[in-house]
Amino acid sequence: MTVQERHPSNKKIPLAFLCVAVVLALAPLGLPLFAMTLLTEALILGLLAMSLDLMVGYTRLISFGHAAAYGLGAYASGYLLLHTPLALPFAVLAASVLAGVVAIGVAWVCTLTKGVSFSMLTLAFAQLLYAVAFKWTSVTGASDGLAGIPRTSGPFGVTVFQTKNGYYYLVLVCLLGAYLFCRSLVGSPFGAVLRGIRENEAKTLSLGYNTRLYKIAVVAVSFALGGLAGALYSPFAGFANTELVFWLFSGQVLIMVIVGGQGTLIGPILGAAFFMLLEHVLSQYTESWALFFGLIFIGFVMFAPQGIWGLLTRRARV
Amino acid sequence: MAGRPLSTRGERLFHCSRTPRCGRPVSSESSAVMDILPFLLVQCLNALSQAALLFFLGVGLTLIFGIMRIVNFAHGTFYMFGAFLGYSAVRVTGSFWAGLVLGPMVAGGIGAAFELGLLRRLYKRDDSAFLMVTFGLTLVLGEIIRLVWGVNALQVEVPDALSGIVFLLDEPFPVYRLFLVASGAIVAVGIWQFLERTRLGLLIRATSQNAEMVHALGVDVNLVRSGIFGIGCGLAALGGVLAAPLLSASLGMAGNAIIDAFVIVIIGGMGSFPGSLLAAILVAFVQVFGTYYFPDFAMAAMYLLMLLVLVVRPGGLLGKEA
Repeated sequence: MTVQERHPSNKKIPLAFLCVAVVLALAPLGLPLFAMTLLTEALILGLLAMSLDLMVGYTRLISFGHAAAYGLGAYASGYLLLHTPLALPFAVLAASVLAGVVAIGVAWVCTLTKGVSFSMLTLAFAQLLYAVAFKWTSVTGASDGLAGIPRTSGPFGVTVFQTKNGYYYLVLVCLLGAYLFCRSLVGSPFGAVLRGIRENEAKTLSLGYNTRLYKIAVVAVSFALGGLAGALYSPFAGFANTELVFWLFSGQVLIMVIVGGQGTLIGPILGAAFFMLLEHVLSQYTESWALFFGLIFIGFVMFAPQGIWGLLTRRARV
Repeated sequence: MAGRPLSTRGERLFHCSRTPRCGRPVSSESSAVMDILPFLLVQCLNALSQAALLFFLGVGLTLIFGIMRIVNFAHGTFYMFGAFLGYSAVRVTGSFWAGLVLGPMVAGGIGAAFELGLLRRLYKRDDSAFLMVTFGLTLVLGEIIRLVWGVNALQVEVPDALSGIVFLLDEPFPVYRLFLVASGAIVAVGIWQFLERTRLGLLIRATSQNAEMVHALGVDVNLVRSGIFGIGCGLAALGGVLAAPLLSASLGMAGNAIIDAFVIVIIGGMGSFPGSLLAAILVAFVQVFGTYYFPDFAMAAMYLLMLLVLVVRPGGLLGKEA
């Protein structure tokens, strides 16, 4: 792998992180409502892409079915908000846990295989879920999806999440928290084993690590965070539909990770923001933005496998 | 993004099975035994015609994987491309048979050019690079198809010679489906003979076993790779042309097709030619009978079959590596 390994020192939270957090926290003061909507969605997608990076960038488990995590979270939180009196943060949390638990079963099967077969199996699971979402009308609303998902008032009479900016802060807190969690995870001995699996699974196995268990664990964590992103999305958008589970979306998330820079955690978040921005800008000029998007993506894979973040940090060091 | 629902597929493909004539017997017990035979025959032929289409899809993917160790994500898009090319060929030349020849040739040529221009530069990288570049190609080619042919589904007429209906044990059956079964069998035998008997087939088998050795013996391995990538894409396009009169050419085809193709290749074992044939037949039977008996679970049945196979044999039914 050519991806530069530059791990943030494990203990300290860097100054840059705090600066970014403050800037993002002040964003609602300076940005119009329309831009805030875009930014919120970008952060949600960033969380999803970052969660996939745990699998792709750190463990070399190329999942082509990460939309499954997103969809699970989105449908679960949507269903809970529509049909139970559960407060919004708890519904989101429950959906995230559900995605993580389901992932254990999925990973148990998927890790029977390696490499390309693993990718295809994750794809098959996502499609299986897509089929379920399509047919289980009483829960998922079939092709109509779940509509009118409310942002219910929070626990103890907190209503701040019902406003757009309040919801933005919820998303921001989730993303920052998840980032710090992932960062300490990949810096821990657990993360070291994951990187060992990425570089040479046979060697890691011979060192006495049960690599399959590690892989199942990382898929579960990744799905739980991806599910968190999905769970945040459905109350934000107000709907959950089968497109969130479609294989094309899984591919798009993978694009975000690669274009942003795999194995860096921050890169995929940038990739997601880049994706959102590009889609927004290109769709203003041309209907066939997917064409240019595909070309840009091919260009990144061919000529800049280290992604946006890799390009940025390399430039900074020269 | 164009997320097309998959759900209409079963109903459309197997419309015949829903007609009262093919329905389950209702009268007395003795006639039930009499009626079950024609029903089974028709359903089996349905499944075989479906298997032929799936085989065209799967065999190209498995050939490419066997030789090049790469997964072509754009395979389903080439299948869709074939269907649209077939439509245009019929429009321009007025002959379905011209489409059968032109579609695979154009798609195969573009596939080979793609291998020459881009994939060739990636052989030193890991597997995922191929998966992602071909995913990019899926986006680009899919968008180009949308720009050229528009968003509407395009109906391709069944050629006159094949448009009739034959009666098998008093059950009506479309001739075109019989034609599909026959063409599937012909292509399967053709590929098998090609791999076993011709010099190029020998080179292909040798390259799949040990590319470096073949290269050392003075064979241009890169040329073999471009060729096989083109042939694989061409086979997918052939499937697309043949599927067009049944399904009509639409932008939703690629998504369905790529998933089907992956499932077949995984069930059969990656890189195994007989495996892809076996898996295509298995999957087709599961799809057809699943659609009839458990319409609600038909979509899931194929994936469950795949999971079952992988749990029992992680390398696929006839695959070598686990």
